[in-house]
Amino acid sequence: MIADTTEQPLLEGRNVSKYFGGLAAVNNVDFAVCPGEIVGLVGPNGSGKTTLFDCLSRLQKIDSGQILFKGQDVTRARPYQIARMGLARTFQVIRVYRKMTVLKNMLISHQWKDRSILRMLQPSHVNTERRARELLDFLQIAHLTDAQAGHLSGGQRRLLEIGMALMPDPDIMLLDEATSGVNPTLIETIKDRLRVLNAQGKTFLLIEHNINFIVDLCSRVYVLNHGEKLAEGTPQEIIENEAVIDAYFGS
Amino acid sequence: MIAKVRRLPRFFGAWVGLTLWLLLMLLLALYPYTGVSSLTLFVGSQVFVLVTLASNWNLIGGLTGYVDFGHAVFFGIGAYVMGILVTHLPLLISPEWSFWQALPISGVAAAVFALLIGLPTLRLKGPYFSIAMLGTFVVTREIVRVLRPLTGGGSGLSLPPILNRLGDYYLMLGVMGLVVAIIWWIHRSEFGQSLIAIREDEIGAEMRGINTTLHKIVAFMIAAFFTGIVGGFWAWQNTVIDPDVVFIEARTVEMVMMSMLGGLGTVWGPPLGAVIIYFLQDVVWGNLFGVHLLVLGVLLVLLALFLPEGILGALEDRSSTSIGRLLGRVTSRGRN
Repeated sequence: MIADTTEQPLLEGRNVSKYFGGLAAVNNVDFAVCPGEIVGLVGPNGSGKTTLFDCLSRLQKIDSGQILFKGQDVTRARPYQIARMGLARTFQVIRVYRKMTVLKNMLISHQWKDRSILRMLQPSHVNTERRARELLDFLQIAHLTDAQAGHLSGGQRRLLEIGMALMPDPDIMLLDEATSGVNPTLIETIKDRLRVLNAQGKTFLLIEHNINFIVDLCSRVYVLNHGEKLAEGTPQEIIENEAVIDAYFGS
Repeated sequence: MIAKVRRLPRFFGAWVGLTLWLLLMLLLALYPYTGVSSLTLFVGSQVFVLVTLASNWNLIGGLTGYVDFGHAVFFGIGAYVMGILVTHLPLLISPEWSFWQALPISGVAAAVFALLIGLPTLRLKGPYFSIAMLGTFVVTREIVRVLRPLTGGGSGLSLPPILNRLGDYYLMLGVMGLVVAIIWWIHRSEFGQSLIAIREDEIGAEMRGINTTLHKIVAFMIAAFFTGIVGGFWAWQNTVIDPDVVFIEARTVEMVMMSMLGGLGTVWGPPLGAVIIYFLQDVVWGNLFGVHLLVLGVLLVLLALFLPEGILGALEDRSSTSIGRLLGRVTSRGRN
């Protein structure tokens, strides 16, 4: 689905910069993701992709610039607050609750709908469990429902993490290398599931090294290099861009 | 394909623990009517104290994963608040308080202290939190020693000696029953599951919408409140308090050991561990006085090496420890 880029962006960064000591991990990057888009974020290792993700999801404070989500300034929000506004993400190094079962991992990720103290003092609602089971089914890991998350394979954990991100029904999902360490069949599953979700109106921002994945899914791609935005365009434009080829393969 | 885990029917599985616990409480409440000695009642209240302490420590140390090496500080604060309120001190304008008035204040004071100290220390991760709490514990002891007009300094305070073994027994039975029931409730609630999520992956939990700071503080305050109550009770029962009997590191070590032996982060592990440790200590103390600390220290090392998940943890996940695998072979068939 190609989104109309004239509408208000869902997630927007203005002149975002993040320094680690003297190193500019992200340097003056501007970008915007509009509702319904699948946007790719590519670049060589160390180009600042994950740092940008961390800044967007508020795990890292930014040194300058502004981040807007749904038109609101969230530059100083806490991660849980931006999560409750409807942003979900996965991590390059998979973060699941290893000693919980797959189902409990899912249940506890449903955090910010109708929260009250009374609700928190009760076990998860039966509707939450229904949604968890539906999503596990959707991601084709329903047979693992009662398994301990720590016992799952890397690929299965990736799917679980995507499921956990989907639990609260977010508006935008930031997926950090959702296909790394995943076998080709499972990659096809993930690709297929993302397409279905996108058709349902979910917006995605993907960090990806798998260029086919990007070409197949994304409508627009940003390229980062040394923390700076090197290029921006459709996947076709990007793979033909000389500067991008240089950055990836060296000149 | 991973095989399905055998499960009890949902309703039964969810409530059986609490039902059995309430039944046990009822039996223990009837126990004094069988004509037991006052020594037995005393032993009973001591065991209840340990179970309560272990369960409370487990809430922050086991469930939330913030290993608190200074938790006895809340016990000490509870004890001193009780001591100060029930003895007529020149600093206080009102007449001395009764035990029942002072007891809740012991808990509240400990909880408020937990709030104040938790805001900075709960930002620290892993060993840094443990060490900061150990530091808090030592500093508080020294402050108590220095505040002579309020605390009686090194010589401490003497509380009015009122002996009521039966009353002590029932009070601590009630507190223990309540605390374990609360922990059971927390464990199955979304709040408790969020605490486990924080233990398993704090950044992931925060990113998935859990206000981790608030959750940790609330858990810490609950754990401190009841530890303070127990401290207040202990001061009343013991009648004499001074910095060196109230603020002892061994009390924290005891809480850690009981929780570890039973199973960190489980509901029933710490109570089980507390009962075992109490009677073990009794045997070791009675027969090997002089080397009893050595024996307990060695036990702690062995626990960390061979039973890191505790008895219940090993039973739950039998594949993870050698003793767990042994237990698994002995007690189950066809769990896989």
